[in-house]
Amino acid sequence: MSRKNAFKTASLMKELMANYYTKGVEAKEKGVPVAWVTAVFPVELLYAAGLFPYYPENFGALAGARKVADKLSEVAESKGYFNDLCAYARCGIGDAYADEHPVGQIVQPDLLLCCNTQCGSLPKWFEVAGRFYNAPYFLLDSPQIVDEPDELCRRYFIAQLKEMVSFIEEVTGQPYNYDRLSAVLSLSNEACRLWNEILDLAALKPAPFGYFDACFHMAPIVTWRGTPEAVTYYRALKDELDERLKQGIYAIPDERYKIYFDHIPVWPRLRWFSDLFASHKALVVASQYTHSWAYSFDLNRPLESLAENYTEQFVNRGFDYRVQLKINFMEKYGVDGFVLFSNRSCKPNAFGLYDKRKIISQRTGLPGVVFDADMSDLRFFSEHRVRIHLESFFEQLS
Amino acid sequence: MAAAQLVDFFNKTITEHDKFVTEWKNESRGKVIGFLLTDVPEELIHAAGFFPYGICGSSSGQERVDAHLQNWACSLVRSSFALALQGKLDFLDGLIIPHTCDTTRMVSGIWKHASPLPFMENYLLPRQVDRPSARPYLVGELARLKERLEDYRGAAITDDEISNSISLYNSNRKLLRRIFSLHEQNPGCIGNRDLYALIRAGLIMPREILNDYLGQLVDALEKDGPSSSAANHTRLVISGSVCEPPEILDYLEHAGGTVVGDDLQNGWRYIEADVRETGDPLEALADYQINRIPFAGYDTVRNPRRQFLVHLAQKKQARGVIFLHLKNCEAENYDYYDNMQALKKMGIPTLRLETEFGGSSLGQLNTRVQAFMEMVGGAD
Ligand code: SF4
Ligand code: SF4
Repeated sequence: MSRKNAFKTASLMKELMANYYTKGVEAKEKGVPVAWVTAVFPVELLYAAGLFPYYPENFGALAGARKVADKLSEVAESKGYFNDLCAYARCGIGDAYADEHPVGQIVQPDLLLCCNTQCGSLPKWFEVAGRFYNAPYFLLDSPQIVDEPDELCRRYFIAQLKEMVSFIEEVTGQPYNYDRLSAVLSLSNEACRLWNEILDLAALKPAPFGYFDACFHMAPIVTWRGTPEAVTYYRALKDELDERLKQGIYAIPDERYKIYFDHIPVWPRLRWFSDLFASHKALVVASQYTHSWAYSFDLNRPLESLAENYTEQFVNRGFDYRVQLKINFMEKYGVDGFVLFSNRSCKPNAFGLYDKRKIISQRTGLPGVVFDADMSDLRFFSEHRVRIHLESFFEQLS
Repeated sequence: MAAAQLVDFFNKTITEHDKFVTEWKNESRGKVIGFLLTDVPEELIHAAGFFPYGICGSSSGQERVDAHLQNWACSLVRSSFALALQGKLDFLDGLIIPHTCDTTRMVSGIWKHASPLPFMENYLLPRQVDRPSARPYLVGELARLKERLEDYRGAAITDDEISNSISLYNSNRKLLRRIFSLHEQNPGCIGNRDLYALIRAGLIMPREILNDYLGQLVDALEKDGPSSSAANHTRLVISGSVCEPPEILDYLEHAGGTVVGDDLQNGWRYIEADVRETGDPLEALADYQINRIPFAGYDTVRNPRRQFLVHLAQKKQARGVIFLHLKNCEAENYDYYDNMQALKKMGIPTLRLETEFGGSSLGQLNTRVQAFMEMVGGAD
């Protein structure tokens, strides 16, 4: 992201996100149930039911970006939660017990809906929060797809979606409105389509948009997916990017290398990373993370389609699938190397990266590096060490 | 054999971890299927005619794991994987990894690449057991696992075979429960550490032979076991994933403590209930799993873990609860504070010990155990 060429859309996003948080507060005031949800969750079902979905992971990422994750975490640690738990969870739990709220208070849940495709931390954190806020907790359980998707798990997930619909009917006191769901799903399809068109622009050389831009612009696809706002936003962003292409404005001044990056960024150092890559004429162009929001729902079979889209996400897949997915991205975006972030907060995405680096290099011949840090908590970030790792990687590029 | 000799035998089995399995393999030319803790349906492996071998960590060799798995993974998984990388599990033909947490979920692919075996499977147990959807899924998952074992065996596993294995395992569990209750009534007859050694050894012995030895031990303990009045002991409950390091049990003993209950994966939780011996055996295995003692994998609505612990401590009239927390075990960590608070509210003192396979500082643990025991009042 070039500081000189700030996106016009950025201000629209800030507005949208501010609205989002205001809506959360309003929901509380009006008695609209606030449902905590997880990032990879069939939120379409909630928008259609008129519930307000709130993403505590975003709260954690925000605390990270504002460089206060350690402060909130310390409150959780004082209760006996260790600093090796996911930092998002530590921030959320810390905020529950804290007297000071450096990023504002987390919006308290009336119910907690968790899908465990991503990890086992979220359900455990939501259990803790359910006890703390005394709110009912519902888990959408998704067994890992180790090799190929199978009928048993699909049926199990669909049965649970039905259980969740009944649960929502109880909460709202109204029969579930499937017509509304259809409309929400098609808005979600449209936002995902636009988002992926935008991400694809990173394959152009030089490209007008890269991974660090995507990290900045991804909040609406995570939180507003299924609403007209998300569609409006990504349409505006797409138009702006088309315009930039015409004018020859690119993500970095003289792009020479394209890089694949796994997974979540180091939020409090987003700018540092993007500048470091740019100074080596390298643009990070793809990550399975930003590409996660690529759903495509079949309106004729909504529940089945929700089950397929959400359970077949890479976060719920086995080792070999993930290796192949990374390689596919590397090929599609024509990268010159890859950087894998062993994120201390995120065991499900970090474990396996050491072997994956070797396997991917063997199969593709591309140079790759793994670095260790934490996505939010700067107590586990050694600038010196990370720089050494990355510098030696950049040397291999040239 | 006298009780003391039998106890020695079990302890020796743990040290010579491959003795029985190698002998069995040489004699029967059968296949050995390892499994990681916890909750893997061993009865199915046994019914297929395979040797179910429970892998339960080790105290050395973790540096070999560093190239594959970060050192902030739990030491139970790291040290179990270390055994494979050191060639100490070369007798295995297969491995089943249960998905109970992110570490088990992710290690399966790593293991498959770094130390492949002819049969590698995952046990995808449901992570909620409160809603109706869980049971049919679990029955289906057990059927899938059974089918995979059948493919590997090259023949079907009959219902009779499963039922026989279930009843063998039930008799293992009955005998172990009998010994746990003898220990509770008469702590002098078998010590804390020896008691848990029985389960640990049982995981790596042919279960038929195990029954034989356990039966002898029950007889010996009932007849001629040394005795001491339970009234002289401080009753304690342990909570955690596994009983590690076992020295802690000695320290408790020396300070006058008797473990009268636990929710450990290789403790009471492993033997507490039996599998129904009537009706469809896969359904029986599913019901057994759904109704097990709660653990850190998930909290249930029907039997929340913190309430379970309070009830257990109260029922057993325990003076305190000791949390054995394996470093980097997130699941246990998320549970700790609320469990501790629930016990505290009921006036039950707790102690949390953070331990690690191969890395615990024993002197420090001993000091903390002693201080806690003094606090809860020692023996009456
Ligand atoms: S960062 Fe990883 S561990 Fe934390 S909530 Fe996200 S997926 Fe789960
Ligand atoms: S539950 Fe805890 S101890 Fe067990 S494998 Fe997972 S992290 Fe390790």
